[in-house]
Amino acid sequence: MFDKRSRIARLVVGLAGLAIVVGACSSGGSAAPSGKSFTIGYSNGGGVGNGFREEQVCTAKAQALASGQVSTLTTIHRNTDAAGQLSDIRDLIAKGVDAIVFNPNDPAALNPALEEANKAGIKTVSVDAYVTDPTTYNLYNNQIKYAELGAKWLFDQLGGSGTVYYMRGLAGHPADSDRDIGFKNVLKDYPNIKVVPTADGVFTGWDPATATQLINDFIASGQYDQINGIWSSGMGQQVVDGIKAANKPFVPIVDADLYGFVAQLLDPTGYPGLKGAAVTNTAAVGGAGVALALKLLNGEKVETDPSASQPNTVLLNPVLADNVTDAGKATLKSWQVPGLDPGWPLGLTIQGWTTYTPEQAIACKGPGDK
Amino acid sequence: MSAAAGAVEGARTRPAGAVAAFARRNAWTLGLLAFLVVLLLFTKLIQPRYGPVQVQGLAISVLPLALAAVAQAVVVIGGGIDLSIGSMMAFTSVVSATAMQGQSAEFGVVVVLGVLLLGVALGAVNGSLVVLTRVPDIVVTLAMSFVWAGCALLVRAAPGGGAAEWLKDLVLGSIGSEWIPQAAVVLLVIVGAIWLPVRRSRVGLSIYAIGSNRLAAFRSGVPVGRTRLSAYVVTGLFSAFAGLSLTASTGIGTPVPGPYTLMAVAAVVLGGVSLAGGRGGVLGPIVGVVVLQLIRTDMTFLDVNTNLAVVAQGIILIGVVMVGSLVQMRRARA
Repeated sequence: MFDKRSRIARLVVGLAGLAIVVGACSSGGSAAPSGKSFTIGYSNGGGVGNGFREEQVCTAKAQALASGQVSTLTTIHRNTDAAGQLSDIRDLIAKGVDAIVFNPNDPAALNPALEEANKAGIKTVSVDAYVTDPTTYNLYNNQIKYAELGAKWLFDQLGGSGTVYYMRGLAGHPADSDRDIGFKNVLKDYPNIKVVPTADGVFTGWDPATATQLINDFIASGQYDQINGIWSSGMGQQVVDGIKAANKPFVPIVDADLYGFVAQLLDPTGYPGLKGAAVTNTAAVGGAGVALALKLLNGEKVETDPSASQPNTVLLNPVLADNVTDAGKATLKSWQVPGLDPGWPLGLTIQGWTTYTPEQAIACKGPGDK
Repeated sequence: MSAAAGAVEGARTRPAGAVAAFARRNAWTLGLLAFLVVLLLFTKLIQPRYGPVQVQGLAISVLPLALAAVAQAVVVIGGGIDLSIGSMMAFTSVVSATAMQGQSAEFGVVVVLGVLLLGVALGAVNGSLVVLTRVPDIVVTLAMSFVWAGCALLVRAAPGGGAAEWLKDLVLGSIGSEWIPQAAVVLLVIVGAIWLPVRRSRVGLSIYAIGSNRLAAFRSGVPVGRTRLSAYVVTGLFSAFAGLSLTASTGIGTPVPGPYTLMAVAAVVLGGVSLAGGRGGVLGPIVGVVVLQLIRTDMTFLDVNTNLAVVAQGIILIGVVMVGSLVQMRRARA
């Protein structure tokens, strides 16, 4: 049925595949620097390709490198569910790392593995969102305040009355749930603001393609012509581009401080009449999480925020800047970092936490990376 | 080579040749098991602290996908394919997590039984549509994957809910020796209690028969439609077990399906089940899932870039299947 030559060819292809794998395995060695050398694991269970998550991973690598105290940063960065992230964290525990920094897929689902880590003497730090495990430290942007700042600005822009399209993030993600709390906190004070399509908004899943499709459908159905403003949760650039492509007048929009969105706000010729505001939501929580883990490993004291819903929590407070006032424009300009990917947030460093340069974060190199 | 045909063949073999016949019948699974042993030794070599606790973690990690792979294997052996397994898992998982939240342990038992019945019903719907509409399996189940995923989102828009403590404890820790993870025992008990009786029954034989050659089976008097329906029902039941295992390991239900459907197809292929139907068993796919998970773990131990790890997983999949086919072809010629 098969001649000998084709059989040998198949075998060669198979062996070549295995050789690639073996080669890939052997190149992953680690270089131990002088002084203290900790090993840290980093787990990200979603948003691969999303600028916010990519920047988080890169700042974690940059901080591990800049600290000079980390010999290896093992990164597991893939799209998976809570069960998959449980398995990733268990792999990191099995690897015997000194600390695990992770962006949780769920506030409670990872707790069994976090308890196992605690038993094994591994420090755990949750970044970008909290977990309910009592021994884990949480470090994240104050998302309630984030949503409140943006919602208040937007509702004030509309003079306290009008219809707002409410575009949320990933359903069930703690950051998204907290933003919803903040949004609704402010909404209570503005009885003449109506929220569409429902009070619970629509979910972009923090996925650019989904956001583009949502805004295109919204415009095509004629609903866009009935609204006065958009509250967006990080996908503002896609929303603005969708409106521009449809040749519709812009309504005021508030979003996160992503490079692409801020560039649109500062480009009155490309986007005439676009009024908007950006709220900081630094992705450098990845780097700050590594810094926090190192503090814990070195036995240093960590200041926590008692106002947070969980113990052992460090909250980072957001700032808002708009392109309506000159002061706001100046602030937006001061945030810009040349060479940044359009989908990446601007706050590349966090004072008091990160020690790398913005260039190091963009380079995205960890200890031992060539 | 099918297990059913093999059983007939095995009965005819004299006792002295029984071991050899068994080895020949299960050559693929045994080879895969050998590969797993090598992989475990390699893992111990690169990570000397790999021990019972890690094996327990491995068993919990593979449980949902292993059950999904068994679900897929049953329908593939019957000559079909089910692309809605991941969605059925999400649906059954959110239903169980929603129903169990804040309820007593006893009510949890009722929920588990109810969810298993739900799995049977989902499988029956899939199977009836395939049999009655005569639309290809792949199209019907792909379409139904959207339906079940949508139902999951209707039950819960966001991840949440709860699980009975006994359900969570069921998959944690070990039983007897610390080297025997409870999750692995749970898996073997579920599969043994359902698949073994089914396979030995008339229905099981019919599933292999219609998978091997549907026309020949029909002419021999096998009720093709009813058998295909049964295969989908068994698949639905195992999908419900897989969904429950998600709830058990995480304590919540997630409405968005995880990457289980296609991973289950990969595990089935790796486990020596022919995608053309009629050949293979469920043990091979389970071992295949463990191999895939252990490769991922080893990549973490070796600090391989995760993106590269995914590529490597695919290459290993092709490599193993290629080497396996080569061995089988050589044997067929000999």
